[in-house]
Amino acid sequence: MPRREAEDESTERMKYRDIISALFWAALGLAVAWGGYRLEIGTLHEPGSGFMFFWVGLIMVGLSLSILIQALRRPGVAHELKEVFWTEIRVAKILAVLLALTLYAYLFTYLGFILSTFLLLVFLFKAVEPQTWVKAILAAIITTLSAYGIFNLWLGSQLPKGLLGLG
Amino acid sequence: MDLLHYLGIGFSVALQPVNLFYCFIGVFIGTLIGVLPGIGPVGAMSLLLPVTFQSTPEAAIIMLAGIYYGAMYGGSTTSILVNIPGEAASVVTCLDGYQMARQGRAGPALGIAAFGSFIAGTLSILGLMLLAPPLSQIAIRFGPPEYFTLMVLGLTILIYLAHGSMPKALIMACLGIVLGLIGLDSINARPRFTFDRIELIDGVGLVPIVMGLFGISEVLLNIERTTEREIFQTKLKGLLPTGKDWKESAGPIGRGSLLGFFLGILPGGGAVISSFLSYALEKRLSRRPERFGKGAIEGVAGPEAANNAATGGAFIPLLTLGIPPNVIMAMLLGAFMIHGVTPGPLMMKQNPGLFWGVITSMYIGNLMLLILNLPLIGLWVQVLKVPYKILFPLILLFCLIGVYSVSNSVFDIYVMIVFGVVGYLMKKFEYEGAPLVLAFVLGPLLENNLRKSLIMSQGSFAIFFTRPLAAASLIIALMLLISPLIPWLRQKREEIPKEEVS
Repeated sequence: MPRREAEDESTERMKYRDIISALFWAALGLAVAWGGYRLEIGTLHEPGSGFMFFWVGLIMVGLSLSILIQALRRPGVAHELKEVFWTEIRVAKILAVLLALTLYAYLFTYLGFILSTFLLLVFLFKAVEPQTWVKAILAAIITTLSAYGIFNLWLGSQLPKGLLGLG
Repeated sequence: MDLLHYLGIGFSVALQPVNLFYCFIGVFIGTLIGVLPGIGPVGAMSLLLPVTFQSTPEAAIIMLAGIYYGAMYGGSTTSILVNIPGEAASVVTCLDGYQMARQGRAGPALGIAAFGSFIAGTLSILGLMLLAPPLSQIAIRFGPPEYFTLMVLGLTILIYLAHGSMPKALIMACLGIVLGLIGLDSINARPRFTFDRIELIDGVGLVPIVMGLFGISEVLLNIERTTEREIFQTKLKGLLPTGKDWKESAGPIGRGSLLGFFLGILPGGGAVISSFLSYALEKRLSRRPERFGKGAIEGVAGPEAANNAATGGAFIPLLTLGIPPNVIMAMLLGAFMIHGVTPGPLMMKQNPGLFWGVITSMYIGNLMLLILNLPLIGLWVQVLKVPYKILFPLILLFCLIGVYSVSNSVFDIYVMIVFGVVGYLMKKFEYEGAPLVLAFVLGPLLENNLRKSLIMSQGSFAIFFTRPLAAASLIIALMLLISPLIPWLRQKREEIPKEEVS
């Protein structure tokens, strides 16, 4: 069965990624348990604020160890991380989109909804897939104004006015 | 006849013009996002949640529920025409639906999907009406131990049914509980894990988490590779299935409805699992199973009926116990809470208009969907042709506005971006988002009921084993959790979704 073979291959490829994620969760689980301990675990008669955190954190550590052990037992494929994670993937585009979103959040109240949304949309229309400037700007204007109309004027969302005093 | 009386109350609410309008908007948007890739019902519901702030609770829930079952309809259209399922519950519909389209029978395939969905949706609403009242009566007697163990069982079933590794799904549930508990302690009002940020005192918002995990991450995954989608060029003629089609589909629709309804009550992807099981069942019952995968109409009718019936079933735990069985119901629970209504056994008595109004609106909504889907199919095909480079900035923008308008806080936008990255990495590392979100919603309830139970029992865990329902729930949950350790059972679990389909 080809499907089964494909799955085996994929589980093999997961070895190093499982190890990384298991270590991450173990660390996080420890931090949560420690935080719970500091918040006061309380007693079984009267569980405290940190009771759930402490025990859930410890359970996370236990579970991540079981993922780790399972992963260590599997045969690994060399260069798995590099091959699977970074090839064929347009990492730069993803980072660019994330950066644009973060900048948008940062400038949102300062520039106001209309200006910041317009800039974000021009970037998104233009940067990820090639498109002419005219098309990108036109699409951004239309989208910004329609969104403003729908959300601010019709539905009454409180979108920030910002620099231009619009909105 | 009490039921007729309640139905009267329900229709008097659902037929109010404003509620009809919200119902229409809900099913329309539901169909739209069912057709569009990259945004699912969960994302759309969180997007529209802020829109409902000014409306009555009835209108809000009616619209959000409409999105849910509307998406089930819309999802089948893309499965049949493009061989790309609009959402997970329509994956099986691709198998025979797309083959039917290739043979020039796209019309009857779309038609039977719409009619099958309508019939199943209607049947499951009838089931909901009959089952919910007696269950509410029983649920009134539940105490903290019963609630705690039922929630544990619900989460466990969801985890059991999750794809892939069970420890991974369990870790996601743990993370969800931890995130859900951030904020003030409900018992002594002490801030927990707030890192001295005022924004975290009320806890992390459900909407930014869901939008990040299901909206932003999906966009990120889609832009990392460009996929060109080809729409099967076919003339859509004769949407009405023939008499022979009906004869072949009647059984599958009936069986699919029953299967979907009962699996829908159980937590964890009822719609998805029931569509797969219905396909497997029909193939096994068929006298000519070799036709499956080559355009058998039963393979479209059964699963489409099942996934719609599951939506009705899924309302039962939410409306009678206040426990959401899946992520979408968790969103609805959030919506109820925002409007100051607590779903649960008392809701039927305290809020009969809302309870029955929502149920009867689903009946009206199903009718609207039938009208929307059959004549407007050409419009949905046009929507499919919108290229992704135009679509994804719009999806991102909707997410941004949606998250901001829930709380008017930029902090929530950051939370959404962070969870977008988390969701993206989760896909890469093969972790599932559903257990996280459900546990996030259940976390505070779980903790509260656990602590109350322990206070009640003076620190003895025996309270969970001496009360029959609590004990039964815990034992089933434990059995499910240890079952992967037994090789034979593990194999069975892995086979469930794939069985007979390949």
